[in-house]
Amino acid sequence: MRNIGTIFRREFAAYFNSPIAYIFIIVFLVLNCGLFMTPFFLQGQADMRDFFGNLPLFLIFFIPALTMRLWAEDKRSGTFELLMTLPMRASEVMLGKYFAAAAFYLVALAGTLTVPLMVGLLGDPDGGMIASGYIGAALLGALYMSVGIFCSGLLRDQISAFILGMVACFLFFLLGIPAVAATIDGWFSGFGSFLQNAIGLLPHYQSMIRGVISLGDVTYFLALTVAFLALNTIWLEGRKY
Amino acid sequence: MIEVRDVTKRFGTTVALNSVSFRLDQGEILGFLGPNGAGKSTAMKIITTFLAPDEGTVTVDGVDVLEQPLAVRGRIGYLPESVPLYVDMNVQEYLEFVGRARGLEGARLKTRFDWCVQACGLVTELKRPINELSKGFRQRTGLAQALIHDPDILILDEPTSGLDPLQILGIRDLIRSLASQKSIIFSTHILQEVPPVTDRVIIINEGRIVADGKIAELTRQAFGADSQFERDLEAAAAALARGHAAEAVAMQKARLALEDTFIALTKQGGRGKGVGLHA
Repeated sequence: MRNIGTIFRREFAAYFNSPIAYIFIIVFLVLNCGLFMTPFFLQGQADMRDFFGNLPLFLIFFIPALTMRLWAEDKRSGTFELLMTLPMRASEVMLGKYFAAAAFYLVALAGTLTVPLMVGLLGDPDGGMIASGYIGAALLGALYMSVGIFCSGLLRDQISAFILGMVACFLFFLLGIPAVAATIDGWFSGFGSFLQNAIGLLPHYQSMIRGVISLGDVTYFLALTVAFLALNTIWLEGRKY
Repeated sequence: MIEVRDVTKRFGTTVALNSVSFRLDQGEILGFLGPNGAGKSTAMKIITTFLAPDEGTVTVDGVDVLEQPLAVRGRIGYLPESVPLYVDMNVQEYLEFVGRARGLEGARLKTRFDWCVQACGLVTELKRPINELSKGFRQRTGLAQALIHDPDILILDEPTSGLDPLQILGIRDLIRSLASQKSIIFSTHILQEVPPVTDRVIIINEGRIVADGKIAELTRQAFGADSQFERDLEAAAAALARGHAAEAVAMQKARLALEDTFIALTKQGGRGKGVGLHA
Protein backbone atom coordinates (compact mmCIF):
# COMPACT_ATOMS: atom_id res chain seq x y z
CA MET A 1 0.00 0.00 0.00
CA ARG A 2 2.83 2.35 0.92
CA ASN A 3 4.53 1.74 -2.41
CA ILE A 4 1.34 2.40 -4.33
CA GLY A 5 1.00 5.65 -2.39
CA THR A 6 4.54 6.79 -3.24
CA ILE A 7 4.02 6.19 -6.96
CA PHE A 8 0.53 7.69 -6.80
CA ARG A 9 1.80 10.94 -5.29
CA ARG A 10 4.47 11.37 -7.94
CA GLU A 11 2.19 10.57 -10.85
CA PHE A 12 -0.65 12.73 -9.59
CA ALA A 13 1.73 15.66 -9.12
CA ALA A 14 3.15 15.03 -12.60
CA TYR A 15 -0.22 15.88 -14.14
CA PHE A 16 -0.18 19.25 -12.44
CA ASN A 17 3.52 19.88 -13.11
CA SER A 18 2.74 20.09 -16.82
CA PRO A 19 0.11 22.10 -18.71
CA ILE A 20 -1.78 18.90 -19.54
CA ALA A 21 -3.83 19.05 -16.33
CA TYR A 22 -5.12 22.55 -16.91
CA ILE A 23 -5.76 22.09 -20.61
CA PHE A 24 -7.53 18.83 -19.95
CA ILE A 25 -9.77 20.15 -17.20
CA ILE A 26 -10.73 23.31 -19.08
CA VAL A 27 -11.51 21.56 -22.37
CA PHE A 28 -13.31 18.74 -20.57
CA LEU A 29 -15.55 21.11 -18.65
CA VAL A 30 -16.23 23.52 -21.49
CA LEU A 31 -17.09 20.78 -23.94
CA ASN A 32 -19.17 18.62 -21.64
CA CYS A 33 -21.07 21.40 -19.93
CA GLY A 34 -21.33 23.57 -23.05
CA LEU A 35 -22.75 20.88 -25.27
CA PHE A 36 -25.29 19.99 -22.59
CA MET A 37 -26.79 23.48 -22.42
CA THR A 38 -28.59 23.54 -25.77
CA PRO A 39 -30.56 20.28 -25.37
CA PHE A 40 -31.16 21.09 -21.72
CA PHE A 41 -32.80 24.43 -22.37
CA LEU A 42 -34.56 23.24 -25.53
CA GLN A 43 -36.18 20.27 -23.82
CA GLY A 44 -36.74 22.06 -20.57
CA GLN A 45 -36.40 18.86 -18.54
CA ALA A 46 -34.62 18.87 -15.20
CA ASP A 47 -32.40 15.83 -15.74
CA MET A 48 -28.84 15.11 -16.90
CA ARG A 49 -29.44 12.22 -19.28
CA ASP A 50 -28.04 14.09 -22.28
CA PHE A 51 -24.99 15.06 -20.27
CA PHE A 52 -24.20 11.46 -19.33
CA GLY A 53 -25.27 10.21 -22.76
CA ASN A 54 -22.48 12.21 -24.40
CA LEU A 55 -19.75 10.84 -22.12
CA PRO A 56 -19.04 7.43 -23.73
CA LEU A 57 -18.14 9.17 -26.99
CA PHE A 58 -16.30 12.15 -25.47
CA LEU A 59 -14.24 10.05 -23.09
CA ILE A 60 -12.90 8.03 -26.03
CA PHE A 61 -10.81 11.12 -26.76
CA PHE A 62 -10.26 12.41 -23.25
CA ILE A 63 -9.20 9.30 -21.37
CA PRO A 64 -6.43 8.09 -23.71
CA ALA A 65 -5.01 11.63 -23.50
CA LEU A 66 -4.69 11.10 -19.75
CA THR A 67 -3.32 7.59 -19.87
CA MET A 68 -1.02 7.78 -22.90
CA ARG A 69 1.90 9.09 -20.89
CA LEU A 70 1.67 6.62 -18.01
CA TRP A 71 4.20 4.11 -19.38
CA ALA A 72 5.24 5.50 -22.75
CA GLU A 73 6.80 8.57 -21.15
CA ASP A 74 8.82 6.46 -18.72
CA LYS A 75 10.02 4.21 -21.51
CA ARG A 76 11.07 7.15 -23.60
CA SER A 77 12.89 9.01 -20.82
CA GLY A 78 14.59 6.01 -19.23
CA THR A 79 12.75 6.23 -15.91
CA PHE A 80 11.09 2.92 -16.77
CA GLU A 81 14.35 1.23 -15.84
CA LEU A 82 14.33 3.03 -12.50
CA LEU A 83 10.73 2.00 -11.76
CA MET A 84 11.35 -1.62 -12.69
CA THR A 85 14.42 -1.85 -10.44
CA LEU A 86 12.75 -0.34 -7.37
CA PRO A 87 12.10 -2.82 -4.58
CA MET A 88 8.38 -3.01 -5.37
CA ARG A 89 6.19 -5.19 -7.54
CA ALA A 90 5.32 -4.18 -11.08
CA SER A 91 1.66 -4.37 -10.04
CA GLU A 92 2.26 -1.78 -7.30
CA VAL A 93 3.86 0.66 -9.70
CA MET A 94 1.04 0.03 -12.15
CA LEU A 95 -1.68 0.60 -9.56
CA GLY A 96 -0.01 3.78 -8.35
CA LYS A 97 -0.07 5.13 -11.88
CA TYR A 98 -3.61 3.93 -12.53
CA PHE A 99 -5.01 5.46 -9.36
CA ALA A 100 -3.25 8.74 -10.15
CA ALA A 101 -4.98 8.90 -13.53
CA ALA A 102 -8.26 7.84 -11.94
CA ALA A 103 -8.00 10.50 -9.24
CA PHE A 104 -7.27 13.10 -11.87
CA TYR A 105 -10.31 12.04 -13.88
CA LEU A 106 -12.47 12.21 -10.76
CA VAL A 107 -11.23 15.76 -10.13
CA ALA A 108 -12.27 16.72 -13.66
CA LEU A 109 -15.60 14.96 -13.20
CA ALA A 110 -16.12 16.76 -9.88
CA GLY A 111 -15.74 20.00 -11.83
CA THR A 112 -18.99 19.21 -13.63
CA LEU A 113 -20.93 19.20 -10.34
CA THR A 114 -21.99 22.74 -11.16
CA VAL A 115 -24.37 21.19 -13.69
CA PRO A 116 -26.53 19.27 -11.18
CA LEU A 117 -26.43 22.41 -9.02
CA MET A 118 -27.85 24.43 -11.90
CA VAL A 119 -30.39 21.75 -12.76
CA GLY A 120 -31.43 21.68 -9.10
CA LEU A 121 -31.90 25.43 -9.02
CA LEU A 122 -33.97 25.49 -12.19
CA GLY A 123 -36.16 22.50 -11.56
CA ASP A 124 -36.77 19.49 -9.39
CA PRO A 125 -34.48 16.74 -10.72
CA ASP A 126 -34.33 13.12 -9.56
CA GLY A 127 -31.23 13.17 -7.34
CA GLY A 128 -30.89 9.39 -7.34
CA MET A 129 -30.80 9.29 -11.10
CA ILE A 130 -28.08 11.93 -11.26
CA ALA A 131 -26.06 10.10 -8.61
CA SER A 132 -26.41 6.87 -10.52
CA GLY A 133 -25.29 8.69 -13.67
CA TYR A 134 -22.15 9.88 -11.90
CA ILE A 135 -21.43 6.35 -10.71
CA GLY A 136 -21.81 5.18 -14.30
CA ALA A 137 -19.48 7.94 -15.51
CA ALA A 138 -16.87 6.94 -12.95
CA LEU A 139 -17.09 3.26 -13.91
CA LEU A 140 -16.97 4.11 -17.60
CA GLY A 141 -13.84 6.18 -17.01
CA ALA A 142 -12.30 3.36 -14.95
CA LEU A 143 -12.74 0.96 -17.86
CA TYR A 144 -11.39 3.34 -20.48
CA MET A 145 -8.42 4.16 -18.25
CA SER A 146 -7.48 0.53 -17.75
CA VAL A 147 -7.63 0.04 -21.53
CA GLY A 148 -5.56 3.21 -21.94
CA ILE A 149 -2.84 2.28 -19.44
CA PHE A 150 -2.58 -1.14 -21.05
CA CYS A 151 -2.07 0.45 -24.48
CA SER A 152 0.51 2.84 -23.04
CA GLY A 153 2.42 -0.13 -21.64
CA LEU A 154 2.70 -1.70 -25.07
CA LEU A 155 4.39 1.27 -26.68
CA ARG A 156 7.17 3.74 -26.09
CA ASP A 157 5.60 6.57 -28.05
CA GLN A 158 2.87 8.67 -26.46
CA ILE A 159 1.09 9.54 -29.68
CA SER A 160 0.90 5.90 -30.72
CA ALA A 161 -0.36 5.03 -27.24
CA PHE A 162 -3.03 7.71 -27.57
CA ILE A 163 -4.23 6.46 -30.96
CA LEU A 164 -4.19 2.81 -29.94
CA GLY A 165 -6.05 3.62 -26.73
CA MET A 166 -8.64 5.61 -28.66
CA VAL A 167 -9.23 2.79 -31.15
CA ALA A 168 -9.51 0.21 -28.37
CA CYS A 169 -12.00 2.31 -26.39
CA PHE A 170 -13.94 3.03 -29.56
CA LEU A 171 -14.27 -0.70 -30.16
CA PHE A 172 -15.96 -1.17 -26.78
CA PHE A 173 -18.26 1.71 -27.62
CA LEU A 174 -19.00 0.49 -31.15
CA LEU A 175 -19.90 -3.07 -30.20
CA GLY A 176 -22.57 -1.78 -27.85
CA ILE A 177 -24.46 0.14 -30.54
CA PRO A 178 -27.65 -1.73 -31.56
CA ALA A 179 -27.16 -0.98 -35.29
CA VAL A 180 -23.67 -2.45 -35.20
CA ALA A 181 -24.91 -5.48 -33.31
CA ALA A 182 -27.68 -5.96 -35.87
CA THR A 183 -25.19 -5.77 -38.74
CA ILE A 184 -22.96 -8.40 -37.19
CA ASP A 185 -26.05 -10.50 -36.48
CA GLY A 186 -26.70 -10.37 -40.21
CA TRP A 187 -23.34 -11.97 -40.90
CA PHE A 188 -23.23 -14.44 -38.03
CA SER A 189 -26.61 -15.00 -36.50
CA GLY A 190 -26.63 -14.11 -32.79
CA PHE A 191 -22.97 -13.18 -32.60
CA GLY A 192 -23.57 -9.43 -32.75
CA SER A 193 -26.07 -9.50 -29.90
CA PHE A 194 -23.71 -11.63 -27.89
CA LEU A 195 -20.87 -9.13 -28.38
CA GLN A 196 -23.21 -6.25 -27.61
CA ASN A 197 -24.03 -7.68 -24.21
CA ALA A 198 -20.72 -9.25 -23.31
CA ILE A 199 -18.31 -6.57 -24.54
CA GLY A 200 -20.24 -3.52 -25.69
CA LEU A 201 -20.50 -0.96 -22.94
CA LEU A 202 -23.60 0.99 -23.96
CA PRO A 203 -26.24 -1.47 -22.72
CA HIS A 204 -24.57 -1.53 -19.30
CA TYR A 205 -23.96 2.19 -19.16
CA GLN A 206 -27.37 3.30 -20.38
CA SER A 207 -29.24 1.53 -17.63
CA MET A 208 -27.11 3.47 -15.15
CA ILE A 209 -27.96 6.86 -16.62
CA ARG A 210 -31.59 5.84 -16.40
CA GLY A 211 -31.03 5.43 -12.68
CA VAL A 212 -30.72 1.63 -12.46
CA ILE A 213 -27.60 0.25 -10.85
CA SER A 214 -27.59 -3.50 -11.27
CA LEU A 215 -24.97 -5.88 -10.01
CA GLY A 216 -24.46 -7.23 -13.53
CA ASP A 217 -23.61 -3.84 -14.99
CA VAL A 218 -21.22 -2.95 -12.18
CA THR A 219 -19.59 -6.36 -12.53
CA TYR A 220 -19.20 -5.81 -16.26
CA PHE A 221 -17.24 -2.59 -15.75
CA LEU A 222 -15.17 -3.81 -12.82
CA ALA A 223 -14.33 -7.17 -14.40
CA LEU A 224 -13.10 -5.62 -17.64
CA THR A 225 -11.16 -2.96 -15.74
CA VAL A 226 -9.42 -5.55 -13.59
CA ALA A 227 -8.78 -7.72 -16.65
CA PHE A 228 -6.92 -4.96 -18.48
CA LEU A 229 -4.95 -4.01 -15.37
CA ALA A 230 -3.96 -7.64 -14.97
CA LEU A 231 -2.93 -7.82 -18.64
CA ASN A 232 -0.85 -4.70 -18.10
CA THR A 233 0.97 -6.30 -15.18
CA ILE A 234 1.53 -9.55 -17.05
CA TRP A 235 2.99 -7.61 -19.95
CA LEU A 236 5.34 -5.73 -17.59
CA GLU A 237 6.50 -8.90 -15.89
CA GLY A 238 6.94 -10.70 -19.21
CA ARG A 239 9.11 -7.92 -20.61
CA LYS A 240 12.11 -9.34 -18.77
CA TYR A 241 12.25 -12.53 -20.79
CA MET B 1 28.75 -10.17 -3.24
CA ILE B 2 27.67 -10.89 -6.77
CA GLU B 3 27.99 -14.23 -8.47
CA VAL B 4 27.20 -14.62 -12.16
CA ARG B 5 27.27 -18.16 -13.46
CA ASP B 6 27.03 -19.20 -17.13
CA VAL B 7 24.61 -16.46 -18.02
CA THR B 8 23.32 -16.37 -21.57
CA LYS B 9 20.93 -13.77 -22.90
CA ARG B 10 19.54 -13.58 -26.40
CA PHE B 11 17.54 -10.87 -28.11
CA GLY B 12 15.92 -12.59 -31.06
CA THR B 13 18.82 -14.16 -32.93
CA THR B 14 21.50 -11.90 -31.44
CA VAL B 15 23.37 -13.38 -28.52
CA ALA B 16 23.96 -10.46 -26.16
CA LEU B 17 25.68 -12.53 -23.49
CA ASN B 18 27.22 -15.92 -24.10
CA SER B 19 27.86 -18.07 -21.05
CA VAL B 20 29.25 -15.27 -18.92
CA SER B 21 30.59 -16.04 -15.44
CA PHE B 22 32.29 -13.86 -12.88
CA ARG B 23 32.30 -13.03 -9.22
CA LEU B 24 32.62 -9.88 -7.22
CA ASP B 25 33.36 -9.82 -3.50
CA GLN B 26 32.46 -7.32 -0.85
CA GLY B 27 34.62 -4.23 -1.03
CA GLU B 28 35.81 -4.86 -4.56
CA ILE B 29 35.56 -2.41 -7.45
CA LEU B 30 35.18 -3.91 -10.88
CA GLY B 31 35.73 -2.02 -14.11
CA PHE B 32 33.58 -3.39 -16.89
CA LEU B 33 35.12 -2.70 -20.27
CA GLY B 34 34.12 -3.48 -23.79
CA PRO B 35 33.26 -1.93 -27.12
CA ASN B 36 29.78 -0.53 -27.61
CA GLY B 37 27.27 -3.34 -27.94
CA ALA B 38 29.53 -5.88 -26.26
CA GLY B 39 26.96 -6.76 -23.60
CA LYS B 40 28.08 -4.59 -20.67
CA SER B 41 24.70 -2.97 -20.16
CA THR B 42 22.86 -6.25 -20.67
CA ALA B 43 24.92 -7.87 -17.94
CA MET B 44 24.15 -4.98 -15.61
CA LYS B 45 20.46 -5.10 -16.42
CA ILE B 46 20.40 -8.79 -15.53
CA ILE B 47 22.13 -8.25 -12.19
CA THR B 48 19.69 -5.45 -11.33
CA THR B 49 16.75 -7.74 -12.27
CA PHE B 50 15.58 -5.46 -15.06
CA LEU B 51 16.08 -8.34 -17.46
CA ALA B 52 16.01 -12.05 -16.78
CA PRO B 53 18.78 -14.35 -18.01
CA ASP B 54 17.78 -17.00 -20.58
CA GLU B 55 20.24 -19.44 -19.06
CA GLY B 56 22.45 -19.48 -16.01
CA THR B 57 22.04 -18.01 -12.54
CA VAL B 58 22.86 -14.74 -10.88
CA THR B 59 22.94 -14.38 -7.12
CA VAL B 60 23.41 -11.21 -5.12
CA ASP B 61 24.49 -11.88 -1.51
CA GLY B 62 23.29 -15.42 -2.09
CA VAL B 63 19.82 -14.34 -3.24
CA ASP B 64 18.78 -15.47 -6.71
CA VAL B 65 17.65 -12.65 -9.01
CA LEU B 66 14.82 -14.73 -10.47
CA GLU B 67 13.53 -16.14 -7.19
CA GLN B 68 13.54 -12.99 -5.07
CA PRO B 69 13.96 -10.00 -7.35
CA LEU B 70 12.61 -7.55 -4.77
CA ALA B 71 15.18 -8.57 -2.16
CA VAL B 72 17.94 -8.17 -4.74
CA ARG B 73 16.71 -4.76 -5.85
CA GLY B 74 16.73 -3.51 -2.26
CA ARG B 75 20.46 -4.19 -1.98
CA ILE B 76 21.46 -2.57 -5.25
CA GLY B 77 21.91 1.05 -6.23
CA TYR B 78 21.69 1.34 -9.99
CA LEU B 79 22.56 4.11 -12.38
CA PRO B 80 21.41 3.06 -15.87
CA GLU B 81 23.15 4.29 -18.98
CA SER B 82 20.38 6.76 -19.82
CA VAL B 83 20.03 8.59 -16.52
CA PRO B 84 16.48 7.98 -15.26
CA LEU B 85 15.30 11.46 -14.33
CA TYR B 86 11.82 12.93 -14.07
CA VAL B 87 12.29 16.23 -15.84
CA ASP B 88 9.10 17.72 -14.40
CA MET B 89 10.48 17.50 -10.83
CA ASN B 90 13.24 19.44 -9.14
CA VAL B 91 16.30 17.74 -7.72
CA GLN B 92 15.00 17.63 -4.17
CA GLU B 93 11.57 16.26 -5.10
CA TYR B 94 13.17 13.65 -7.30
CA LEU B 95 15.65 12.39 -4.70
CA GLU B 96 12.96 12.32 -2.02
CA PHE B 97 10.69 10.36 -4.35
CA VAL B 98 13.37 7.75 -5.04
CA GLY B 99 14.20 7.61 -1.32
CA ARG B 100 10.56 6.96 -0.40
CA ALA B 101 10.16 4.45 -3.21
CA ARG B 102 13.15 2.65 -1.73
CA GLY B 103 11.52 2.52 1.68
CA LEU B 104 13.19 5.43 3.47
CA GLU B 105 11.15 7.69 5.72
CA GLY B 106 11.44 10.56 8.16
CA ALA B 107 14.81 11.13 9.81
CA ARG B 108 16.52 8.35 7.91
CA LEU B 109 15.43 9.83 4.59
CA LYS B 110 16.63 13.25 5.72
CA THR B 111 20.07 11.95 6.75
CA ARG B 112 20.57 10.00 3.56
CA PHE B 113 19.28 12.86 1.44
CA ASP B 114 21.69 15.32 3.05
CA TRP B 115 24.58 12.91 2.65
CA CYS B 116 23.88 12.24 -1.05
CA VAL B 117 23.41 15.90 -1.86
CA GLN B 118 26.72 16.68 -0.17
CA ALA B 119 28.62 13.77 -1.69
CA CYS B 120 27.39 14.43 -5.20
CA GLY B 121 27.81 18.19 -5.02
CA LEU B 122 24.17 19.05 -5.57
CA VAL B 123 23.70 21.50 -2.71
CA THR B 124 23.28 24.52 -4.99
CA GLU B 125 20.90 22.78 -7.39
CA LEU B 126 18.25 21.40 -5.04
CA LYS B 127 15.43 23.67 -6.19
CA ARG B 128 16.33 23.67 -9.87
CA PRO B 129 13.96 21.80 -12.18
CA ILE B 130 15.76 18.79 -13.61
CA ASN B 131 15.10 19.83 -17.21
CA GLU B 132 17.22 22.93 -16.61
CA LEU B 133 20.23 21.01 -15.30
CA SER B 134 23.45 20.64 -17.26
CA LYS B 135 24.59 17.19 -18.32
CA GLY B 136 27.05 17.04 -15.46
CA PHE B 137 24.44 17.81 -12.82
CA ARG B 138 22.01 15.36 -14.38
CA GLN B 139 24.64 12.66 -14.12
CA ARG B 140 25.30 13.58 -10.50
CA THR B 141 21.60 13.56 -9.70
CA GLY B 142 21.46 10.08 -11.21
CA LEU B 143 24.35 9.01 -9.03
CA ALA B 144 22.73 10.51 -5.93
CA GLN B 145 19.59 8.53 -6.76
CA ALA B 146 21.63 5.30 -6.83
CA LEU B 147 23.18 6.08 -3.43
CA ILE B 148 20.11 7.31 -1.57
CA HIS B 149 19.33 4.05 0.23
CA ASP B 150 22.98 3.35 1.10
CA PRO B 151 23.11 0.12 -0.91
CA ASP B 152 25.78 -2.54 -0.40
CA ILE B 153 26.16 -2.91 -4.14
CA LEU B 154 26.49 -0.15 -6.68
CA ILE B 155 26.02 -0.75 -10.37
CA LEU B 156 26.97 2.24 -12.45
CA ASP B 157 26.58 2.15 -16.22
CA GLU B 158 28.96 4.75 -17.61
CA PRO B 159 28.83 7.04 -14.57
CA THR B 160 31.28 9.57 -15.99
CA SER B 161 29.87 10.00 -19.48
CA GLY B 162 29.30 13.62 -20.35
CA LEU B 163 31.23 15.01 -17.43
CA ASP B 164 34.09 17.47 -17.63
CA PRO B 165 37.55 16.44 -16.35
CA LEU B 166 37.04 18.09 -12.99
CA GLN B 167 33.71 16.38 -12.44
CA ILE B 168 35.24 13.06 -13.50
CA LEU B 169 37.84 13.50 -10.76
CA GLY B 170 35.05 14.18 -8.29
CA ILE B 171 33.10 11.05 -9.23
CA ARG B 172 36.32 9.02 -9.19
CA ASP B 173 37.10 10.14 -5.66
CA LEU B 174 33.55 9.40 -4.61
CA ILE B 175 33.68 5.87 -6.02
CA ARG B 176 37.01 5.25 -4.32
CA SER B 177 35.77 6.55 -1.00
CA LEU B 178 32.76 4.25 -1.15
CA ALA B 179 34.82 1.23 -2.04
CA SER B 180 35.68 0.06 1.43
CA GLN B 181 32.09 -0.79 2.36
CA LYS B 182 30.54 -1.55 -1.00
CA SER B 183 30.92 -3.73 -4.03
CA ILE B 184 30.94 -1.59 -7.13
CA ILE B 185 30.64 -2.45 -10.80
CA PHE B 186 31.12 0.39 -13.21
CA SER B 187 31.30 0.31 -16.96
CA THR B 188 33.09 2.69 -19.23
CA HIS B 189 34.67 2.82 -22.60
CA ILE B 190 37.09 5.51 -21.55
CA LEU B 191 39.97 3.32 -20.52
CA GLN B 192 42.04 6.00 -18.86
CA GLU B 193 39.38 6.15 -16.19
CA VAL B 194 39.92 2.65 -14.98
CA PRO B 195 43.43 2.50 -13.48
CA PRO B 196 42.92 5.40 -11.04
CA VAL B 197 39.84 3.72 -9.60
CA THR B 198 40.53 0.01 -9.65
CA ASP B 199 42.91 -2.58 -10.96
CA ARG B 200 40.31 -5.34 -11.37
CA VAL B 201 38.80 -5.32 -14.82
CA ILE B 202 36.62 -7.53 -16.96
CA ILE B 203 36.85 -7.06 -20.69
CA ILE B 204 33.82 -8.24 -22.57
CA ASN B 205 33.52 -8.55 -26.32
CA GLU B 206 30.64 -9.84 -28.43
CA GLY B 207 28.92 -11.23 -25.36
CA ARG B 208 31.90 -13.15 -24.03
CA ILE B 209 34.32 -12.34 -21.26
CA VAL B 210 37.72 -12.21 -22.90
CA ALA B 211 39.66 -11.17 -19.83
CA ASP B 212 39.11 -11.02 -16.08
CA GLY B 213 41.76 -10.04 -13.60
CA LYS B 214 44.25 -7.40 -12.54
CA ILE B 215 45.33 -5.01 -15.26
CA ALA B 216 48.98 -6.05 -15.04
CA GLU B 217 48.09 -9.75 -15.28
CA LEU B 218 45.87 -9.16 -18.26
CA THR B 219 48.57 -7.32 -20.09
CA ARG B 220 50.86 -10.26 -19.50
CA GLN B 221 48.17 -12.66 -20.71
CA ALA B 222 47.54 -10.70 -23.84
CA PHE B 223 51.14 -10.32 -24.84
CA GLY B 224 52.59 -13.65 -23.78
CA ALA B 225 54.32 -14.80 -20.64
CA ASP B 226 57.49 -12.80 -20.91
CA SER B 227 55.85 -9.64 -22.06
CA GLN B 228 57.53 -6.50 -23.13
CA PHE B 229 55.20 -4.90 -20.65
CA GLU B 230 57.75 -3.22 -18.49
CA ARG B 231 60.76 -3.78 -20.66
CA ASP B 232 62.96 -0.89 -21.29
CA LEU B 233 62.27 0.21 -24.81
CA GLU B 234 65.69 1.64 -25.08
CA ALA B 235 67.46 -1.68 -25.62
CA ALA B 236 64.93 -2.90 -28.17
CA ALA B 237 64.99 0.29 -30.11
CA ALA B 238 68.73 0.44 -30.06
CA ALA B 239 68.96 -3.11 -31.41
CA LEU B 240 66.40 -2.31 -34.06
CA ALA B 241 68.32 0.77 -35.07
CA ARG B 242 71.53 -1.15 -35.30
CA GLY B 243 69.86 -3.83 -37.44
CA HIS B 244 68.76 -1.21 -39.89
CA ALA B 245 72.12 0.42 -39.84
CA ALA B 246 70.64 3.58 -38.58
CA GLU B 247 71.26 5.63 -35.54
CA ALA B 248 68.82 6.17 -32.82
CA VAL B 249 68.14 9.82 -32.49
CA ALA B 250 65.73 10.04 -29.61
CA MET B 251 64.41 7.43 -27.29
CA GLN B 252 61.48 7.28 -24.90
CA LYS B 253 60.41 4.82 -22.33
CA ALA B 254 57.04 3.23 -23.01
CA ARG B 255 54.75 0.91 -21.18
CA LEU B 256 51.99 -1.22 -22.52
CA ALA B 257 48.94 0.42 -21.22
CA LEU B 258 45.49 -0.94 -20.56
CA GLU B 259 44.52 0.47 -23.90
CA ASP B 260 46.84 -1.89 -25.76
CA THR B 261 45.49 -4.84 -23.83
CA PHE B 262 41.96 -3.78 -24.58
CA ILE B 263 42.58 -3.42 -28.29
CA ALA B 264 44.45 -6.69 -28.42
CA LEU B 265 41.61 -8.57 -26.71
CA THR B 266 38.62 -7.05 -28.42
CA LYS B 267 39.99 -6.72 -31.92
CA GLN B 268 38.79 -9.29 -34.41
CA GLY B 269 41.36 -11.79 -35.59
CA GLY B 270 42.88 -13.12 -32.47
CA ARG B 271 44.73 -12.23 -29.37
CA GLY B 272 47.64 -9.93 -29.29
CA LYS B 273 48.77 -10.38 -32.84
CA GLY B 274 50.21 -7.40 -34.58
CA VAL B 275 50.17 -5.20 -31.57
CA GLY B 276 53.35 -3.31 -31.08
CA LEU B 277 54.69 -1.00 -28.53
CA HIS B 278 53.29 2.44 -28.38
CA ALA B 279 55.93 5.03 -27.89
